[in-house]
Order: sequence, then C-alpha cells, then structure tokens
Amino acid sequence: MSLLHFQVLSAALFAIGVYGVLARRSAVLILLSIELVLNAVNVNLVAFAAFLDPTRGLGQVIAVFVITVAAAEVGLALAIILQLYRKRASVDVDKIDLLKW
Amino acid sequence: MPGMEWAWLIPALSFIAFALIVAFGRWLPGRGAFIAVLAIGAGFVLFWPVMVDLVRTGLPGEPGQYGFSWTWFPVGDTRLTWGMIVDPLSVLMLGIVTLVALGVQVYSLEYMRGEPRYGWYFAAHALFAASMLTLVLADNFILLYIVWELVGLCSYLLIGFWFERRSAAEAAKKAFVTTRIGDVGLLVGILLLFKVTGTFQMSAIFAEAAKLAAGEPSLLSSGTATAAAILIFVGAMGKSAQFPLHVWLPDAMEGPSPVSALIHAATMVVAGVFLVARAFPLFDAAPTAVLIVAVVGLITAVLAATMALVVTDLKRILAYSTVTDLGLMMLSLGAFGVTAAMFHLLAHAFAKAMLFLGAGSVMHGMHEPGDVDIRKAGGLWRRMPLTALTFGIGALALAGVPPLSGFFSKDEIFGALWSHRPAVFVLLFLVVAFLKAVYLSRAWLAVFSGPLKRENEHVHESPLAMTLPLLVMGALTLVLGFLAIGWTADYQGFGTFVFFHEAEAFHFNLGLAAVSVVVAVGGLAVAWATYVTGRISAASVQRRVAPLHRLVASKYYMDDLYQWVINKLVLAFSGLVAWFDRVVVNDGGVNGTAESVRSSGLRLRYHVSGKMYNYALGMALGAVAVILLWWLVAPV
Amino acid sequence: MTLVVFYLLAAVTLLGAMGVVVTRNVVYAALALLLSLMGVAGIYLLLFAEFLALVQVLIYGGAITVVILFAIMLTRLREYKGVMENPQWPLGLLAATALFLVLVAAFLVDSPRMNVEERLAVPFLLLGGSLFSQWAIAFEVASLVLLVALIGAIIVARGEDSRERP
Repeated sequence: MSLLHFQVLSAALFAIGVYGVLARRSAVLILLSIELVLNAVNVNLVAFAAFLDPTRGLGQVIAVFVITVAAAEVGLALAIILQLYRKRASVDVDKIDLLKW
Repeated sequence: MPGMEWAWLIPALSFIAFALIVAFGRWLPGRGAFIAVLAIGAGFVLFWPVMVDLVRTGLPGEPGQYGFSWTWFPVGDTRLTWGMIVDPLSVLMLGIVTLVALGVQVYSLEYMRGEPRYGWYFAAHALFAASMLTLVLADNFILLYIVWELVGLCSYLLIGFWFERRSAAEAAKKAFVTTRIGDVGLLVGILLLFKVTGTFQMSAIFAEAAKLAAGEPSLLSSGTATAAAILIFVGAMGKSAQFPLHVWLPDAMEGPSPVSALIHAATMVVAGVFLVARAFPLFDAAPTAVLIVAVVGLITAVLAATMALVVTDLKRILAYSTVTDLGLMMLSLGAFGVTAAMFHLLAHAFAKAMLFLGAGSVMHGMHEPGDVDIRKAGGLWRRMPLTALTFGIGALALAGVPPLSGFFSKDEIFGALWSHRPAVFVLLFLVVAFLKAVYLSRAWLAVFSGPLKRENEHVHESPLAMTLPLLVMGALTLVLGFLAIGWTADYQGFGTFVFFHEAEAFHFNLGLAAVSVVVAVGGLAVAWATYVTGRISAASVQRRVAPLHRLVASKYYMDDLYQWVINKLVLAFSGLVAWFDRVVVNDGGVNGTAESVRSSGLRLRYHVSGKMYNYALGMALGAVAVILLWWLVAPV
Repeated sequence: MTLVVFYLLAAVTLLGAMGVVVTRNVVYAALALLLSLMGVAGIYLLLFAEFLALVQVLIYGGAITVVILFAIMLTRLREYKGVMENPQWPLGLLAATALFLVLVAAFLVDSPRMNVEERLAVPFLLLGGSLFSQWAIAFEVASLVLLVALIGAIIVARGEDSRERP
C-alpha cells in the first residue's frame, strides 16, 4: 500500500464531488457534493503528512483548518439556502438566475 | 511579603480601575471617581515593598534587578513578549508617578466637582496612570511603544477635556500632532534596532550596544547605533517638548490644572527623559547622539527661559518653566549625567506638580475658569496663605535656593556639565539658572505679594482636599534634596541608587555650589528690585531691547514658522497630491477602468445565463485546461 | 491485510460518494454522505491520524449531517421528486472524468519521486503543539472565521423581517 493508493482514492472522491456540483439541481445536494470535494482534499493532505512529512505533520494542521472552514461554510450556506427557500419557495438552482443580465 | 515580583500589579490596578469606571461608573456614587483614587493609592502602597525589596537585594554596589517576560504571540520566528523590568530607574519612576498621581487625583476630587463627565475625567486619569506605569516598567520596545502612544492618547483626551471650548480642542489636536511627529521617529528607531538585532528586547539590544562601546564585535555598527539613538531621541523630543517640538506644551495648559500638574509637568513630559535614560547604553555607544541631546537640551532651556520672562498667564509661565527644566534634564543626559538628570526629574516632578496645583488653587479661588493673568492678581497671600506658602516653596526650590530639592539637583547637573562639556555649555546653563530664578520669583511676587486688588476681595482659600496634596508635596520638596547626600556607608548619595555604569558617590563641590547660589540669589534680587521696590523698571528694559523683546514675545516665531510651513509647503504639496488623485488616479485609473469594464460588460453580458452550474462547469474545465497547459509549457 | 482494509474502506467511501451524487431522494443523499465520510474517517485511521478521524466522526457524523438533515426538513421534501439533474449533466460528467484523469496522470508522473512505502504517525503532541504555537495566529483567525460565519448564518437565516413571519 503506497501513497499512490491514497492519491487515486482522493482523486476519485474529488471527481465524484465535482460531478455532483456540476450536475445536481438542488442547492442542498450541491452543498453535499462540496463536502465530498473538501474531504478528498483532506485525504490527500493527511496522506502526504503520513508518508512524506511525519516529523512536522503540516498536512494534518492544514486539514484541521479545512474542516473548520468546511463547518463554517455549511452553516452559512444552509442559512442562505433557508432564506432562499423562504423568498422563492424553491431551492432549485435552475430557477435561481438572478446573476443573469 | 510582596516584593519586586508584584510590581506588575501597580499598573494593572489602574487598568482595572479604568475598565470599572467606564463600565459601571454611572451607577456608582461619585461616578466611580473613588475607584481611580483607590487604585492609584494601592499602587503607591505597593511601591514601598517593591522598593524595599529592590534596595535590600541590591545595595550597596549593583542594585538588584528583577525582570520577567512571557510570550504574547509569535510571528514567524519573532516572539512578541510582555515583560517588565524592575530596576532602580523604573522603581524611581514608579514612586514619582504613583505619588504625584495620587496627590493630583485627590486634589481633582474637589477641583473637578460639578463637572459634567466627572467620571470620565477619572477614568482617563486611571488609564493615563496605568499606561505611564507600564511605560516605566516595560522591558521591550514594542510594549513601550504601545503604552507610549496610550499615554499620548490620554494627554490628548485630557487637554481637550473641555472640548466645547475651541481653544482646548485646538490645543489637544496640536499636542497630539506635534508629539506624533516625534513618535514616528521613535517607531523608525525601534524598527531600525529590530532590523539589525532581530529583537525588541531592551536587554539584548543594550548588550549589543555595550559590546559596540567596548570595541568588541557587535551586531550594531557605530552608524546604526547613532542613527537609532537620534531617532529614539526624536521621540523623546516630542514627548518632552524639546526644541523645535516644544510648541505644544504651553498650549496644553488649556486642560484642567490638575491635568497640567500630573501630565504636563510631573510625569508624561518626563517620559522622554526617562526614555533617553533607559536607552542610555545605546547612547553611550553613540557619542554624536549624546552631543545632539546636549545641544537640543541647551537650546530648549535657553529659549524657554527667555519666553517664560515675557508671558503673563500664570500657567503659561509654569509651562515654559517646565520646558526649561526638561531642557536642563536633557542637557544633563547629554553630559553623561544620568544620575543628575534623574534626580532633577525627581525634584522637579514634585515641585512643579505643586506649582501647577497651586496655580489651579489660585484659579479656583479667583473663579477664573481659563487662566490667571498675573497682572490681574496680586496680594493673594492674605486670602490664601497655604497656597502662597507652598507655591513659594516650589518657586524657591526650582530657582535653586539651598537647601531645597532643586538646589541639589541643579548642582549635580552643574557638576556633570563642568566635567564633561566645554565652557560655553556651563555659561549658558548659568544664564538659564539666573533666568529661572527671575521668572519664578516674578510669578510668585506678582500673584501673591503687594496690595490686594478690589476685584479680588472675594478670593478664598481652597478646601482641604486641594490644600492637602499641596502641603504634602511642599514637605517633600523641602526634604527630598537631602537624598542627594550620602548618609551612611551604604548610601553614598543618589548615585548609589540610580547610575550608569558604576555607582557614583555624592560630590559636593563648594565652588560650584557657591556660584549657583550666587546666580540664584542674584535672580531673586533682580526680580525683587523689579517687581517690589521698582528700582528696575520692566517697561524701560523692555523698551531698550525692543527688537529682542518682540522676538521673544512672539515665541521666536516658531508657531508662525510652523503655520507658514503648513500653509505654503504642506498645503501646496497636498494640493498636488489631491490633483494627482483626482485626475490621474480617479478619472484615469478608477473611472477609466470602471468605464472600460462597463462598456465591455455591456457587450459581453449576452452570453451569461445566470445559471450557477454553468459557471461551475467553466471553473472545472478551466482547471483541467490550466493543468494541461502547465504540462505543455513546463514538460515534466 | 491492511491493503484489504484499505480497499474495503475505499469502496465504502466511493460508493457513499456515488450515492450522494446519483440518488433521487435527498434524505438518502445525506445518509450516503454520512457513509462516505465515515469511510474517510477509516482512511484517516489507516494513516495513523487518530485525531482527525475523531474530529471527522464528531463534526461530520454528528454536527454537519444533522444540520443538513434539518435544512432538508425545513425546505420540504416533495419538491425533489422530479428530475434531479440539471440540463448540463453530461458535460459535468465529462468535466469530472477529465479532472479525474488529469489528477491521476499528475500523481503517476510524480509517483517515482514520491514512492514511499513507509507511513508514520504524526505525534499527537506535535500536532497540538504546532497548532498552538507556530500556527497560533492562523488558529485564532480560523476561530474568528467560524465565529463570523455562525453570526452571519444566524442573521441570514433570521431574515430582515422576521417579526412579520409566522
């Protein structure tokens, strides 16, 4: 079992997450997919820490920060989704196109 | 038994008092003023065990020291620390600051009664005391700079305490801006030292400076040490009102009198002197910087002494007198007389605080809110004997009459100058000493002696809360001078306590003392002849040297010069900058960019769907493209 | 043996992830996410990152999933019964596959240099020590970010006219 195993796993998880972000319609599901992407990054970081940098463990430190930011992001994004739902009675990103000209 | 390790508590108490008054003051009796007084009183009580501990572990010879520091936060490889150093210098300042602040705050309880913002006044006082006490204890330059600025802020707040009055607001602004100019120098000096030595810790920097002075290899070069010392001195010049940054101090008298006594006479303005004394190992390695200190101090003293002769506001006379004394302290430091400078600081702090409190008492008695014109007063000793007595003691002490405190300190400065600087310094010093005697006795004679004017019949002595601090400080001024003399084998004068390099015994030079007494008495005699017997007519002297008088009376045109510089140079340059900002940056840069974005956006907007996932797809494909491009450009 | 465990955990993780992105039921998607994240926690254990595994279980398994389930309940389920993919999903699949291939290619190109078989634990003390000394400021800023985000979330979720709403 080498570093490559973990890297491929992380890449797969990342790609699945990206697909979710790109293909889904519900804002909640897009949020879930973003969590997958973040976790893919963390797997990679922790693997690097264990294989290449065990004396400093920087990867784990950064992973802690990623988890922190992820938690903040979930809270804020869900608040926005809730508010969106109240205003437009929908979380379908197809119907949310305020950015259009 | 608390000892030196408790010293941090002294400023901490006042910080707590500040927080308490600001937070809860409005619900407390007396708006919480008593908290500030209690805190500083406790600080004064705590000062004693700290000092006893210091003396017991130290004297004779090298006095004991205690220091600690803990990490505040790391920035990369540098650690910023909080730390304190308890040594004779800082303990001396602790004693001065706590006692004067205590006296002034007790005095203020009565003096400021009935003011709106009564609680805020005491909160600012507590914050000031806390910052000043931290300043004298600081063991690294960053902490020192922080509290240095806090002290300046408190000074600003208190000068402008009556900010409804335009002149007070203006004076506060002037004080703040002028001292800021010096502070920039201090900051640059600190950063320069940091760049070279990699630390803000004073002990480490001074160790390098000592190596340089001893000719050993050191991180500091002689040029850097000189530059840093001069820059630090620029900071000291701002705070200690040295020429040419002295202009703010006379205007600062717009603040309440107790504020003038505490901040602009006894404590804050000597922060610059303290800073130079604290950093003296650095100055020792830079003889040029020391010479500059001496010259600036001398110029300041001479200019201020002449200006004090011609102003007629009581508090302004005292303000110029303070500038004179600050100049003398700097002059003493510039003659390697650290002991003399610190002793003069000690003697001056109590005497001058007492004079200002006395002036406040006169204003209180005459119901003059702003300032007292000495031509309107006269004969007040019949109405306020205690004030007249203490004011007289303070004036005589600072004039240098034996055996009051000012005599001994002046004598030590004289001695330092005598052995380290050429004759012209000594000569001008004697001129300053003479002028000091003249203008201080002029102030006392004009206000308290002579016939009582009819419009002053209502004047009355101030209440006990105001006269008590006066009396305490008067008694101290009477006896403090004897600290200079060696009493026991262990205590060979003030030099065994505060010194640089090695302890100095007290040397009483009869010749020098005789000269300085003759000069002081001569000054008193001239004042007597002018203002009492009328043998010398001030008006005719004034006529005879009319151009000189005009020059002095207009404050050497310093204010006008600054005004001219600000009007012509600064405003012209600002106009140029404003034009550049308006035309080039705004019209061309900001609006131009915005306009081009807008016009291109108008054309490009039609491809935008507004669908979030379209953009995300673009990002993902873009990421793939970037990686592929990377491989293309930089083959693996 | 560990290889077998790794493949098991990887399978759990990836199946969970697939579940998140293909299922038509939002609640199932959230549960699949939980499954996948627990798989990641297992992977952390394989990498000797016990602390992160613990954090993963606590924060993702406990807090985040619950918050998401709440959000799903509050935004009503019946809306999700229709088509779950947006019109560009084939393009999305293409982009995701391209990303995967590019990433794996990058790892393969680098793997000779990084061909390390041995993996070591990062000591607990080291992690805590460096978080609180070397990275203390970053840590404080992160906590500030969290605080601001939570306050922002409360304000946003409350809305500006909360009093008028039932």
